[in-house]
Amino acid sequence: MTAAKSLASRALSWWWGIAATLLATSLCAVLLPTPFMNEVMIFAIYVSGCNFLIGRLGFISFGQPAYLAIGAYCTAFYLFYVGTNPLVGLGVGVLGGLLGAIIIGPFFVRLRSDYFAMVNLALAVVLFYVTQKLLVSITGGDNGLWFLTQMQSTPLLDLTAPAQFLWFAIIVATAVTVMFKYLDGTIFGACCLASRLNEDKLQFIGYDNFKIRLVAFIIANTVTALAGAMYAIYFGFVSPEMGSPSRAAEPVIVTLLGGVGTLAGPLIGAFAYTGMKDVISNLIGNWELFIGFLLVFIMLVADQGIWGTLPPAARALLVHLRRAAGRARN
Amino acid sequence: MPADGPVLDVAGLNAAYGEAKVLFGIDLCVAPRQIVACIGRNGAGKTTLLRCICGFVKPLSGVVRSHGSDLIGLAPYDVAKSGVKYVPQDKKVFYDLTVRENLELGSYASGDRNWEPALNYFPKLKVHMDRKAGYMSGGERQMLMIARALLGNPRLLLIDEPTEGLAPGIVSHLREVFTDIARKTSLVIVEQNLPLVCAIADVVYAIRDGRVAAMFSQRSEMSFQTFEKFL
Repeated sequence: MTAAKSLASRALSWWWGIAATLLATSLCAVLLPTPFMNEVMIFAIYVSGCNFLIGRLGFISFGQPAYLAIGAYCTAFYLFYVGTNPLVGLGVGVLGGLLGAIIIGPFFVRLRSDYFAMVNLALAVVLFYVTQKLLVSITGGDNGLWFLTQMQSTPLLDLTAPAQFLWFAIIVATAVTVMFKYLDGTIFGACCLASRLNEDKLQFIGYDNFKIRLVAFIIANTVTALAGAMYAIYFGFVSPEMGSPSRAAEPVIVTLLGGVGTLAGPLIGAFAYTGMKDVISNLIGNWELFIGFLLVFIMLVADQGIWGTLPPAARALLVHLRRAAGRARN
Repeated sequence: MPADGPVLDVAGLNAAYGEAKVLFGIDLCVAPRQIVACIGRNGAGKTTLLRCICGFVKPLSGVVRSHGSDLIGLAPYDVAKSGVKYVPQDKKVFYDLTVRENLELGSYASGDRNWEPALNYFPKLKVHMDRKAGYMSGGERQMLMIARALLGNPRLLLIDEPTEGLAPGIVSHLREVFTDIARKTSLVIVEQNLPLVCAIADVVYAIRDGRVAAMFSQRSEMSFQTFEKFL
């Protein structure tokens, strides 16, 4: 009986955060505009990969648009040239991202964190050039590839209908969060964190740091490619702009904004960033400048990001209020 | 893996950091269940010697063997897997991980799920299993690092300055622990704490300017006054 109770309490402690996030997201899906929520959910998946790289491995990558583009273009190639089923297209995009990460990873993860950041940026520049100029006959260059009307409806949740796509995106984002939460509790998760803290010591214990980094790199960038594939299906269109190096800092900024290494950070960051863009661009002409200042302000005030700052601050406030109430009773 | 030969046999070891040569033909031998201490001034090359043995510094030339197997050229994680574990000086555990997670890392790498023998040396760790290692004292961190290194029953532990900055009570506890560990595992300890060296070492190597200046293997030769000349 006690064992069953302990198991139930462990399961509850494991799931309550996920369940609460899912509930809050579902509520937002009902209350907020569908296009906004779709963008938030896909962006959250995109940032999750970056968050894993920074938060667990300590590797900042300014090349995430490249992995996003790999996923998006693989999906687009399938849906434009081969088939019409978006679910198969999604699978092709993820597979493309996985293969890309397996090929690129062994070269990149050997590098130090600062070189890693730069070499990834270089990859994004190369890929942007390839999609924009070099392979115009296949990628359509700046015109991109349109396949919105070519996609067939899918059973259960029709991915061609934005309202149903949103529920699919929520399910995928939840699955990605569950996967990262599960990884956090495994030896592999501990190894990733240990690799960030002190890679030499990890080797003293008997772990091959290279293999740990490589697997983490593959996981993170396959998730990024998944986001790219979802963008492609949602918009029914891809263009080189999606993988533009000028947007390289975006996932890093949103990771920092949400709270590096926290599970809810990518979702919170994506909400805050997309929300700020949506609201402020409606009110102000030069909204990019304003958002830039706002981000600098938020990071100065809350250097742990929103999710890394607000819950501890709320807990501290609660403790303070309880103490004050206790003093008043006495 | 051949089980014959000394637990550690270092011969003619030369090492350098870039242009700066640090070790000059070091010879060192460790027999089973022996405690070997290396003493010497800061910068004498003691830590470099340990880092060469565990694969972190590639020597220029020389031989490093354990039970007849060559360790030179092996990656540090392969040296650790072969049963030669290194406990570095800085006492930096994985501070964001709990004590349990730190031990799990050692456990998984060595395939040894039995923590009892290691934790029996340091019962204090049992109380702090779910505490983040970063919140522990220097002595507790040292205990954790030694306990983690003991998982998998290594044949040789290389411990760098284990008592540096620790309270006398913890030092005397470590002294008992090292004597106990040496019943099964050989130890190479780099140490400046001469009373501890005199009390537990079977062999003492005095290292000066990257060379073995003297070697003491007789109890009668080991005294505070003799060793002090090398510090």
